[in-house]
Amino acid sequence: MIDKSRPTPIGRVVATELKPATPHQFHFWTANETPIGIGAIVRVEASEGGALSVGRVVYGVVTDGFAYSDLATPLHDVVGAEGDPARAAEAPTVRQEIRLWTAAVLRQIPEEPLQPVPLGQVHVAGDADVAQALRMDAYVGGAQPRAIPIGLYTSGGLEAPVYLDADFLLGPEAAHLNISGVSGLATKTSAVEFLLASIFRHFPSHKGRIAAVCFNVKGPDLCFLDRPGELDAEDRRRYARLDVEPRPFDRVRYFAPFKADGVNLNTLRTHPDLAGDVDPLVWGLQEVLDFAEVLLNRDDIDAKADAFIDFLADRVLNKDFDDGFGRQHRVQNFADLDALFRAIFDGLEATGRSDMWRTHHIATIRKVRNRLANISTRCKGLVTDDGLSNDLPWGEFQDRTVYVVDLANVDPLGQDLVFARVVSKLREHLERRDLGVDAVVVFVDELNKYAPADGPETYVKKMLLDISERGRYLGLVLFGAEQFRSQVHRRIVGNAGTLVYGRMDMDELATPGYQVLSPATKIKLATLPIGELMVRHPHFTQPIFVRFPRPAPLRGRDGVERFPPAADLPFEEAVVRQLLRLDRRIRPNQVKDVIADRRAEDVRGALAAVRRARPEDVLAYFRKALGTRVAPTAPRPRQVVPPLNPISEEPY
Amino acid sequence: MTPRRRWTEAIVAAGAVRAAYVPDASTGRSEALEPTGAELVEGAALELHPVPLAPAPGPAIAFLDGIQQWAVVGYDGVTPIVRAHVAAAVRRRGPDRRPRTADEAARELAITRLAALSAPVRRALEGADVEIVDLAADETGQPGRALRAAHLRVDRAREQVEREVGERCAGRLGPKEWLVVDGLLSESRVLAEHPRALGVIKSHGAQYFEGEALERALTLPADHRTSAFRPLGHQHRPVYSWYLRLWPWDGNDLLYGLVRIEARAHPASVAQATALSGWLLRERAPVSTPDARWDRLLYPIHDVETYLRSRAPRDLLPATGSRLPKTGS
Repeated sequence: MIDKSRPTPIGRVVATELKPATPHQFHFWTANETPIGIGAIVRVEASEGGALSVGRVVYGVVTDGFAYSDLATPLHDVVGAEGDPARAAEAPTVRQEIRLWTAAVLRQIPEEPLQPVPLGQVHVAGDADVAQALRMDAYVGGAQPRAIPIGLYTSGGLEAPVYLDADFLLGPEAAHLNISGVSGLATKTSAVEFLLASIFRHFPSHKGRIAAVCFNVKGPDLCFLDRPGELDAEDRRRYARLDVEPRPFDRVRYFAPFKADGVNLNTLRTHPDLAGDVDPLVWGLQEVLDFAEVLLNRDDIDAKADAFIDFLADRVLNKDFDDGFGRQHRVQNFADLDALFRAIFDGLEATGRSDMWRTHHIATIRKVRNRLANISTRCKGLVTDDGLSNDLPWGEFQDRTVYVVDLANVDPLGQDLVFARVVSKLREHLERRDLGVDAVVVFVDELNKYAPADGPETYVKKMLLDISERGRYLGLVLFGAEQFRSQVHRRIVGNAGTLVYGRMDMDELATPGYQVLSPATKIKLATLPIGELMVRHPHFTQPIFVRFPRPAPLRGRDGVERFPPAADLPFEEAVVRQLLRLDRRIRPNQVKDVIADRRAEDVRGALAAVRRARPEDVLAYFRKALGTRVAPTAPRPRQVVPPLNPISEEPY
Repeated sequence: MTPRRRWTEAIVAAGAVRAAYVPDASTGRSEALEPTGAELVEGAALELHPVPLAPAPGPAIAFLDGIQQWAVVGYDGVTPIVRAHVAAAVRRRGPDRRPRTADEAARELAITRLAALSAPVRRALEGADVEIVDLAADETGQPGRALRAAHLRVDRAREQVEREVGERCAGRLGPKEWLVVDGLLSESRVLAEHPRALGVIKSHGAQYFEGEALERALTLPADHRTSAFRPLGHQHRPVYSWYLRLWPWDGNDLLYGLVRIEARAHPASVAQATALSGWLLRERAPVSTPDARWDRLLYPIHDVETYLRSRAPRDLLPATGSRLPKTGS
């Protein structure tokens, strides 16, 4: 707790013709042994001067520091030491030297008339001063407080909580958070984990319910959010100071696609103690077709392909459809769709008609078939041929729950698809107010990959732009993280109301986006210790440095050590595990007997049916879904959708 | 055509020592140029003693200096009215090697010829809360004469405040603490008799030797001192003294880096002269630039002066340049 008693001044404002005090900046000196440094918040009190200055209080944050002595030229030091550096340190008297600081004004009280900073005494800011300086007094107290703690401002052994305004972090006034910093040292993921915990603890009740959807795109970063990590006493003290519970998230749901075998989950959270609570993420043709645009690259984007995909979605999918060559189709999965394509091609060839089918050119049809087949092949495990999907609980999102979608090992195309679909569904449901919560934080790491400053205008980038620019009205909030902020689309970064910086790379700091920072602030950013961040927020007129405690959940790499991923299970064992997750009473041998000699596709289909129905008697339902036991037959080739030319360079 | 060699080079070539610096004090005051004499108290003749570096004689050293600033702030008729500020301070340097103020005093004076002032001006001056120094009739009459007299009064006032602060400090010195005074020790009985007080004199208006002894004293090599002697011929308290060369004078001036040390008139001072000189040699660093007298001005003394100037009235400082705002051209 910062001492609220009035301490003795630690410095005094000075102004010269060359370094005058202005309404936005001032200079002050301190004793050499001062505890303040770059980022420290100070309070200036005008105790003398004109009538307008007396009583004026100015808050500032230190942005630069200078030290110099009365040495006229370095040569004189050489002369005094007679050329021997060792003797220079032995001089009987230490030269007079100064600690001169430059501070940027955070706030002046009264705010009008806005005047140059008076030449008054400088004090270290206390708790109340920090709240005033950062304009937090407007939202920390009151009948409906909106304060979200983000960390502790610390300076000279003193510390004070720093709060963000929920209206400006999570909407509707402003929204979105962007965090950048070098990998491994900036602790971006840790910062977001702590901030989510803080949001869940302090999200104002009058603003409703909130959940988070986190895309785990690398390693095991977010795979153990429900497991406790190591916290020391200092961390716990900081949690207490920020009024956040030092414990992992109470409610976390994990989703991960299958591997290509369709039964083993494609995630690092496969330890036997944990694998049971990962839900498969499986989509069928319907889900993919809704977001087929994601699959089209820049060369593919044309009205013809769009029109044909719309035609398939509107007129063909899940409907009885006549292909015009005498065959009826009911397309429910990729296999059905491929059968339709083959019928069209065969029909056109057999009848010798032109290259047009229902106003669609055969080349367009081939291109769309190629792309759809491509996703089915590259994202096997995510996309199923049999049409039975397992998805996030749309409409049933729970308050203060984290939904982790693990895409770390998914093909980039599949990542794009999942990202686009999940975010779009979130938007749809939030627009209809039927998601189950009123606001959702979407955490996306590696933002420079999904929304690069340069590169093609992909569907994902357009969607991220849309969230950035309109999401705050819906309660759809983007928390983006990246290593290099300059490489992210500037409208996405620009629309982030709150910007957070961990340790930064000097090359990155040399880019134009950081010109507003002083050289000293840049140096501090380049050397920030783990657990310290620089924060910019609409209420803060200058960047503020804060410390946050280590996140309470288990860190990814610690989790992998404590819960090493299990090796892929044989098909039968994997099926047993899937069913055991739904019903602990099932005995493995029963399952193995049921699936013995059954085709894998049939077993996967039956598993999907059980997952969807979640029946009371899982085994009975599974047995029924699998059908009656049939005599083993010679295996027939699996009907998958072969790509026509997966690596085709055709210009469609 | 071959240029003629300059005569200055010719004399150097003939054996003269090259010199190129004329410190202000080398001009001296005309009335003090005549030698006043000295009595040797160390050896039979003025000798040169090499001085090895030595540590400070105590854990804490106090340094005393004073300043004076004055300006004509008004004329009543042709009678100048002078405002003067005199101050002195002692800064004590402890084991952390940082000087800190131990004592200080300041006076503000109004110096004029009261009788020459008109009644309203005189009333205004006498009604003000300022110490008035009234000049004698024979000191005024002409403005220039009055200003010279005012200058002398300011000098005396500064010496007095220095003496007051110095004597107070000497009375409070710890058993191993020393006091270094910028200037004459002999102006104060207390200081002149103190066993741990030294005076360091930078200006050499007064000379004590002539002939060979004078040459030996003024051509003293660096890191050497002369034999100790007792200055004669002035009315101050008896002290022992010796010259010490802090920096080589070749290429500069005879008085470059030359200081005269004063200590109490006691055999112990002679016994300590080399060790004390060795300590003062160590005080050469840090150099007290940008002060023009840096070759003789010890940094801690310079520090006291800087401190006093920082606390002096701003309006008595000479303007360093135009106060008009700078323009773009």
